[in-house]
Amino acid sequence: MPVVKVLTDGIGELDLRDIAVYRKRGGYEQWKRAVTKLTPAEVADVTSKSGLRGRGGAGFPTGRKWSFLPNNGRPRYMVCNCDEAEPGTFKDHMLLEETPHQVLEGILLGTYAIGSTHAFMYIRGEFARGYEIFMETLGQARAAGFVGQKLFGTETGIEVTVHRGAGAYICGEETALLNSLEGRRGEPRLKPPFPAVKGLYGEPTVVNNVETLATLPHLLRNGAEWFAKVGPEKSPGYKIVSVSGHVRKPGNYEVPLGTPLRELLEIAGGPREGRTIVAVQPGGGSSACLFAEHLDLPYDFDTMAQNGTMLGSGAVVFFDDTTNFVEAALALVRFYAHESCGQCTPCREGGHWLEVTLERILAGGGLDSDIDLLLAVSKQLTGINLCPLGDSIEPFLASVVRRFEAQFREYVRAGASTLVAGR
Amino acid sequence: MAAAEISRDFSATVAKVEPEARKLIAQYPEGCARSALLPILHAFQNVEGWLSPEAIERAAEWVGVPVSVVESTASFYTLFHRRPVGRYMLQPCRNLSCIINGAGEIMAHLRGRLEVGHNQTTPDGLFSYEEAECLAACDRAPCMQVNLQFYYDLTKEKIDAMLQAMRDGSFEVPPLPQNAVPGPDWHVAPEGAKKSTGAQGVPSPDDPGGLGDASGRKMIERLTADAAPIDARPTHERLIADGAALLGAPSPNGSAH
Repeated sequence: MPVVKVLTDGIGELDLRDIAVYRKRGGYEQWKRAVTKLTPAEVADVTSKSGLRGRGGAGFPTGRKWSFLPNNGRPRYMVCNCDEAEPGTFKDHMLLEETPHQVLEGILLGTYAIGSTHAFMYIRGEFARGYEIFMETLGQARAAGFVGQKLFGTETGIEVTVHRGAGAYICGEETALLNSLEGRRGEPRLKPPFPAVKGLYGEPTVVNNVETLATLPHLLRNGAEWFAKVGPEKSPGYKIVSVSGHVRKPGNYEVPLGTPLRELLEIAGGPREGRTIVAVQPGGGSSACLFAEHLDLPYDFDTMAQNGTMLGSGAVVFFDDTTNFVEAALALVRFYAHESCGQCTPCREGGHWLEVTLERILAGGGLDSDIDLLLAVSKQLTGINLCPLGDSIEPFLASVVRRFEAQFREYVRAGASTLVAGR
Repeated sequence: MAAAEISRDFSATVAKVEPEARKLIAQYPEGCARSALLPILHAFQNVEGWLSPEAIERAAEWVGVPVSVVESTASFYTLFHRRPVGRYMLQPCRNLSCIINGAGEIMAHLRGRLEVGHNQTTPDGLFSYEEAECLAACDRAPCMQVNLQFYYDLTKEKIDAMLQAMRDGSFEVPPLPQNAVPGPDWHVAPEGAKKSTGAQGVPSPDDPGGLGDASGRKMIERLTADAAPIDARPTHERLIADGAALLGAPSPNGSAH
């Protein structure tokens, strides 16, 4: 079994919230080394060479994202995105609560690497406990001299501001997050300009995911090569995969990218007694389903993309043969309808009408034409919105409607007979 | 909760929140006070249990934006309550991993025990119920938050024990502050209570919670209902006839004169 312990090392065994425990395991040594011995460019260089791709969902190479910052002498900002809310994803939640010093060290390293002196930690509003833990973490690190001015006797100084969200999935989208951080409605901005050019307060800004940043101390400790040689060439390294759904041991498992889906299923305890897996959603609520015949595919960014889906945030949900896919589709469609910020008409209206259509199918009032309607509306609302939220409806919905059409038809047929009988 | 136990002294609230607000504003770069808006609103809600109009007004003053801007911003986020809520805010997850692991039954059980629907508060002001989206705890589904603290691997028995402890006052999570009597619904619904365009958390009158609510059924009833016979008369004739019918109809409140 290829489960590894890198970011997850010590979780469940030690109280890594205690700075002394974290330091005993080499914590903040890389931070000290970076400030006293490395230039920001050297830290960025290790990150680029490692091939690390963003762990928040888009999978964009982290080093390249940083390289887009213009050298215009303006203040620049690092923002850590801890607004984890992609359905099925629960890795950042764990990192925040179980190993917050590792997250903070990563934030500091990232901030230093991009030449910024001010980092913001945006924590999802629902993570009230995580927020308290991280405030405590920051206090400990400040007292130890790892955050603030004149760090380790140098001229380097970094401030960290923790900002709590207040309940809105869309704030995980980076420009919506920036608006929320500026005290506005969490509505995505028109791009370009991208945040690297015009982000927080109109200044150059990088927004990185929690897991992405928490990887940085390990890259510095072990070198770019250590990471780059793991897994597929263009999708290297280790990844925390959140496995849930119909498995016996759901949980976060850290594996090399490229691990086959079937192995992930086994790691998570396999299917429930007497059940078989019929589908798997490999990259969070926004990804299309794969099916039993795809279980031998390696789990990495490019293989998932080549098969019409995505790795996304690394949330893998397995479905066995008891699944009601009409209910599953409604749960996700309703989620997107509820979380639409409302700026773009296709997303706002399309999501709502898809929800109502699914509700009427489930309520026994579906029409034969509803199956095609679901496919047509979800396709038509895709690709014409400011941000990817609306576009996230079609992949799962269309993939399960096509594959499990019989379930949807059965509701329509059964519904039609009750309607007639009721008259 | 008896009305006598509820008291409200907004100046005491301000005395508590103001020093915190100053600190919060100082965390952001100069001239960026508005960034502290969400944290300040959290601070008010922590003290009052909800976002009162007075709190919204004061927050607007402190960060230097119009009250309408704060209203607009606060209304975007589901965790801000612009009406008083119950002492225990129960938020079961209704998203995918929970739904396929029995969240539907758990939510139905909760609604049955509380005798309220989605986005509603019990008449005694003790419980508010809101079905929430993915809470990032899918490995321990079904889950819910109580006053933002997580509860995992829910069963009906576990829920009954939790509700009993909340009623007894022995529950481990402290109750929310409450300085005003909550109404049955805490979200601000627009005229006609239709699902609004973009506003978060506005309840549909047909949405009592759970999967497969009545709105789909209502839609099909509208579609399949016998259509009114088509009036073939020319428009002006029809308008005159309709007007005459309206004028001839008795006022709903009896005589207005």
